[in-house]
Amino acid sequence: MLKFAFDRLCSIAVVMVIAALLVFLLIHLAPGDPAAIIAGDNATTEQVAALRHTLGLEDPLPLQFVRWAGAVLGGDLGVSIFSGAPVLGLIVQRLEPTVSLALLTMLVAVVLAVSVGVLAAAKAGSLIDRTVMVFAVLGFSVPVFVVGYFLIYVFSITLRWLPVQGYTPIAEGVRPWLEHLILPAVTLGLAYVALIARITRAAMLDVLAEDYVRTARAKGVTPGRVLLKHALRNAGVPIVTIIGIGVALLIGGVVITETVFNLPGVGRLVVDAISKRDYPIIQGVTLVFSGVYVVVNLLIDLSYALIDPRVSYK
Amino acid sequence: MSIDRRTVLKSGSLAMAASALPWVARAQSPALRRSLRAVMQADLRSFDPVWTTAAITGYHAAMIYDTLFGIDGEMKPRPQMVSDYGVSDDKLTYTFKLRDGLAFSDGSPVTAADCVASMRRWAARDTGGQILFKYVADTPVKDDRTFQLVLRERYGLVLETLGKTSNSLWIMRRREAETDPTQQISELVGSGPFVFNKDATKVGVAYVYDRNPNYRPRPEAPSGTTGGKVVKLDRVVWENMIDEETAVSALQAGEIDFYETPPLELLGRLQSDRNIKVEVLNKLGNVGFIRLNWLHPPFDNRKAREAMLYLVNQSDIMKATFGNEEYYRTCASLFGCGTDMENDENTGWFKSAPDLKKAAQLFKEAGYDGRPVVILQPTNLAMPNMAAQLLADWLSRAGVKAELAPSDWGGVVARRAVTAPPGQGGWNIFVSWNPASTFASPILFPGHIANGRKGFFGWPDDETHERLRVDWTMAETVAERQAIARRMQANAWNFVPHVLAGQWVAPVAHRTDVRGFVPVPDLVPFWNVEKV
Repeated sequence: MLKFAFDRLCSIAVVMVIAALLVFLLIHLAPGDPAAIIAGDNATTEQVAALRHTLGLEDPLPLQFVRWAGAVLGGDLGVSIFSGAPVLGLIVQRLEPTVSLALLTMLVAVVLAVSVGVLAAAKAGSLIDRTVMVFAVLGFSVPVFVVGYFLIYVFSITLRWLPVQGYTPIAEGVRPWLEHLILPAVTLGLAYVALIARITRAAMLDVLAEDYVRTARAKGVTPGRVLLKHALRNAGVPIVTIIGIGVALLIGGVVITETVFNLPGVGRLVVDAISKRDYPIIQGVTLVFSGVYVVVNLLIDLSYALIDPRVSYK
Repeated sequence: MSIDRRTVLKSGSLAMAASALPWVARAQSPALRRSLRAVMQADLRSFDPVWTTAAITGYHAAMIYDTLFGIDGEMKPRPQMVSDYGVSDDKLTYTFKLRDGLAFSDGSPVTAADCVASMRRWAARDTGGQILFKYVADTPVKDDRTFQLVLRERYGLVLETLGKTSNSLWIMRRREAETDPTQQISELVGSGPFVFNKDATKVGVAYVYDRNPNYRPRPEAPSGTTGGKVVKLDRVVWENMIDEETAVSALQAGEIDFYETPPLELLGRLQSDRNIKVEVLNKLGNVGFIRLNWLHPPFDNRKAREAMLYLVNQSDIMKATFGNEEYYRTCASLFGCGTDMENDENTGWFKSAPDLKKAAQLFKEAGYDGRPVVILQPTNLAMPNMAAQLLADWLSRAGVKAELAPSDWGGVVARRAVTAPPGQGGWNIFVSWNPASTFASPILFPGHIANGRKGFFGWPDDETHERLRVDWTMAETVAERQAIARRMQANAWNFVPHVLAGQWVAPVAHRTDVRGFVPVPDLVPFWNVEKV
């Protein structure tokens, strides 16, 4: 197990180097010139050229990459071209809303989806099962922003129960924090509820057809115990896998949800940076997101052995 | 104990009402009565109005800095920080005396040395300032409150340039004003009506401005960017909200008070809300233009450029983009419509356009050889996006092979600077716009420059036009400038630097309890604004 974890950590380093190179190349080869954008719409060709020179954007790409990679290794993600603020500081500043949204979304999604999925499997073929499946298809098909606008219209504009947008840090009170996060978390969580519920149902149905489940029932084990102890635990690997994939997908969802609900998170930071061609921020955030993705995948892999003793890394 | 259905409903209603209380309290809290939350046209990318020409940075500057002169509601320059000024008989020496008691927000007095340093830094970057300083021989400081502008030769636009409302001359402390103009300033201290609250600001999220207790407004009524800039709010917060639908909802819910650029398709929703007022502050609005690349075929040929005059149907572009005729008009004047310089010289083409047959004939006479015409299409901006698609259709119908090059606006901004042929990363056409107030000036709108590769993208080249631009700057009266403007337009529509796409105004939306906006072209000022 330890050797496996060590090997995976080494491979993570390689993946991160490749990710850094790709991020750098993709951004610098994409159309868009920060100097032209900074200079403004009324700048002349001469003014843009002068600014490009000042920003060091005329240096060869390899030189720019080496300069950037060296600084990143030293923990310096650079400074924003526009505001001059350190990128690492900006990311840290924006972490709380993003982490809050992601955690609340996954909490809502996992608790609700696993319960619904188990219930649908237990009542396979019934009205409950069909309703859950219809809901799952809907939840997966309707775009996040449509759900968001709909919820805003109902709960913020019409009923006036919850704020339309914005974020209050948890330090200023749990209630306002939660009020600002309920709609975004439900909006974002809906797709994950649908995804995880479908997989949970399918995995549970497979396991419920196994001989040991029939044996357990024949021994007189209660239906609840059969479902939760015998079936759910053995269906855990695909469920955990899909939750892991969900965390990765969440990164994209967070960007849209933060935009719709005006949450000042990392997603908004990167959207703003892309429109401005603020290279250091785009690179920094993408690198951090890549790191999160890789680490989540590692944790998922390691968790298999804990969930299912048959899985061994020897 | 038993609970009946009615009890459950009553309890539920009370619980729902109780849960709504914090929301109501938030909307009506007395602490927020003198605080205004606004969503502006764009995120504030940079804080230095000399370093960038971005309009939103100009808005920011108007909050925290003041100007020597301003432009009043009649578009005339009037003193702002200056109390008295005089011009020598030979019109070569301008003497300015600052108002008594002017101070920066840190308490230090505004001096003539601050003004001269600010002027020199601004003139190093701003197009209008650069032209002015071609005529400036010296800027001597006479005493703490008096300085001069000594010219080498007469220049007719001294006060207009010092007071202009776009890329204005903002007065900073000398220590910031002595920063290299290619570097951003780090301290934001001005003598304007508001103070930038750095601690409460979260870059990219919200920008906070507090009332400047040291600010001394002029006694006159506000007019344009002149007169008394009386602050009636304690705090103004600019929220950075990307999503238009969310901003509209936030305005309806009372979470913000002002939205500068509500999308036209959602105006109906706002107009039907009795708590919202939709109004046009900038009556001159914006002028759209279609820029043609003079460096490559077919638009290196005058006939092909003339063909574009007959090809474009401004009405279609405006209708497709804005829908409601209340907000747009067509315009044939090189200087925009409704401006001082508007005229109808050499606009016969406008009366017969669109005329696709005539356009096709002119392209043929230009020797069009069938190579694709590359149109840059910014898919994230409505007007240029619509115009690009319509242009592609019209060109095809006139026998010209059109090729759209879609990207976001950032992509267009980068590609329009490329001088290589269209097939090698260059371009033939891009569409943009500028405030009509700037469009009216042959000096302030860079699209009016026709000095070839040194000028604005498209790089038109016409000696007569350049000579007339100089003549215009030398003219001392509006009537003289108007006469020169007629000659410029007569010449311009022959060599065709660009083609107009139409003119429009953009309404703002705000809560009905907010009032007092002073109409200013190129700016939304927050002085005189109050919440009642």
